[in-house]
Amino acid sequence: MRISRQILYRTMLTALFFCAPLALRAQMVVITHASVPVKSISVRELLDVYTLNQSRWDDGTRITVVDVKSGKGRDAFFEYIGMSPEEMQRIWLRKQFTGKARPPRSVGTEEEVVDLVAATEGAIGYVNERTLKSGKSVRIIARFK
Amino acid sequence: MRNPALLASSLLALLLALQDAPTAHAQDVGDMRVFGSMQSLFMHQYSYSEINIPEARLSLEEKESRNTFAIQQLDFFFDKPIDDAFNAFVDLEFQLNYSSEKRWGSLSIQEAWLNYSYNDAVNLKVGLLFPAFNQYNEVKNRLAVLPFIFRPMVYERLLAQRFLTEDFIPEHAYVQFSGWLPTRNLMLDYAVYVGNSEASYITSNHPDGGIDTDLNPNFEFLSGVDPTDINLKLFGARVGLRSPGERFRGGLSFTRDANNMRERFGAQKPYFSEEAIRLMPDDAKRYRFGIDLSHKHGDFLVEGEIIKVVYDLGKAERKLDLSFEQSFVYTLVGYEMHERLFSFISAQWGDYSFGLDADYFTGTAGIAWKWRDDITAKAQWVLYTERMENVVNEDGLHYGQNTRLHFFLLGLSVLL
Repeated sequence: MRISRQILYRTMLTALFFCAPLALRAQMVVITHASVPVKSISVRELLDVYTLNQSRWDDGTRITVVDVKSGKGRDAFFEYIGMSPEEMQRIWLRKQFTGKARPPRSVGTEEEVVDLVAATEGAIGYVNERTLKSGKSVRIIARFK
Repeated sequence: MRNPALLASSLLALLLALQDAPTAHAQDVGDMRVFGSMQSLFMHQYSYSEINIPEARLSLEEKESRNTFAIQQLDFFFDKPIDDAFNAFVDLEFQLNYSSEKRWGSLSIQEAWLNYSYNDAVNLKVGLLFPAFNQYNEVKNRLAVLPFIFRPMVYERLLAQRFLTEDFIPEHAYVQFSGWLPTRNLMLDYAVYVGNSEASYITSNHPDGGIDTDLNPNFEFLSGVDPTDINLKLFGARVGLRSPGERFRGGLSFTRDANNMRERFGAQKPYFSEEAIRLMPDDAKRYRFGIDLSHKHGDFLVEGEIIKVVYDLGKAERKLDLSFEQSFVYTLVGYEMHERLFSFISAQWGDYSFGLDADYFTGTAGIAWKWRDDITAKAQWVLYTERMENVVNEDGLHYGQNTRLHFFLLGLSVLL
């Protein structure tokens, strides 16, 4: 019986070891300019927006896609939409070189993402939820880890 | 501006004036964005040719090797958003160490168009443009987004002596409607377009030498414009499907235009009887059919294209059973060894029959290493073989020819 209990403890510890990073992963949010007429967005819709295939919101406003140059948040976002950053770069380059779309506006920090999305009509970006400050006019339309 | 050297230097001065951040991918000038790409190469070529003349029981061999450096291609793009609905785009291309002074290479406008976007499903492009045909036609000169040094044969301009591009693909169009519609799991692409007749109508070789710029010299008021009527123009379409992350792409393409037989007969006359030449139309209706497919699964990429070109030779076809067809098949298997390292092998083959009977095969393997975001190093080996039977020279001598070419290529592709 003692052996079984030991096994149970070890199993729980192992599970905790593997699950802890997930629990500790930052809460990420997809944000838009406050005037964007969207309350939530699916992964498929995010893919359409970030692959630059969807260029307008439903009210006809041009979408401005905002991206961060690097960081864990960026990795988490591309994992969430099921693509690698390199794969996405290739799509952006192809669209840019055929004149079909301009690549996303790339900024250095998540704070800059919030500032840019808040200031640009039709803009969309992703940030760590902790980056959001009160007084910034953005709307959260999706959450992921 | 008639002087090409002056034009080139003015363009360069303009670009230098616009450029104040040397490491930027694209330079915003007001709303206009200027960017570009160039690819330089080193090529070692080994050629072997064997000619068999059955009548003379003679076999001749010829060998040659050469090495060369070149700026294979340099493109500058100008992208100007006019408002939310309109944008303009220009692609200027320099090829092969362009120098007007030394008469090397070329400078050309590859694209110059205005796009009106009503929404993602309805776009209208007007101007000189690459129309949608299979998956490569719209990016055929965008070497920076392709892993190749030598592109699939019918798209490779350095092989223009072997493959007249317009025989296989629509080079340019002038008006195109296009867009995409969402379906449950995929995106449905469409494009329909119209363009000029092939370039040989605009500038063709005169039988007595020199250049013809009109079908009827009595009405030769303008040069450099298409002199043909509407029934010879290019009409084409493509419908395709894409997955949202674009790992799957596939489509069907079709064009209809005309082939300038006056031009083609210059080289092909020895193959035909007087009657065949009399019955052959001056303008043969030409139909191109295309299928393309691309699928990325994990680290593997599989893609292919098929192009079939069929000509309507009118009375000559019905009375003399003449036919003229061309085909091209391209297949590629790629493997992403690392997110910045892509390797591929490709096989391409096809045939053509127009008097002489010929077929060809290309095997190629290569690697593209994205050293930095803006610099990609490439290496490629290409084997090209061609077999021709029943070739006739000007003296009426029949012979067969086998040609084998090896290319070893090293290239650097740079985003500007």
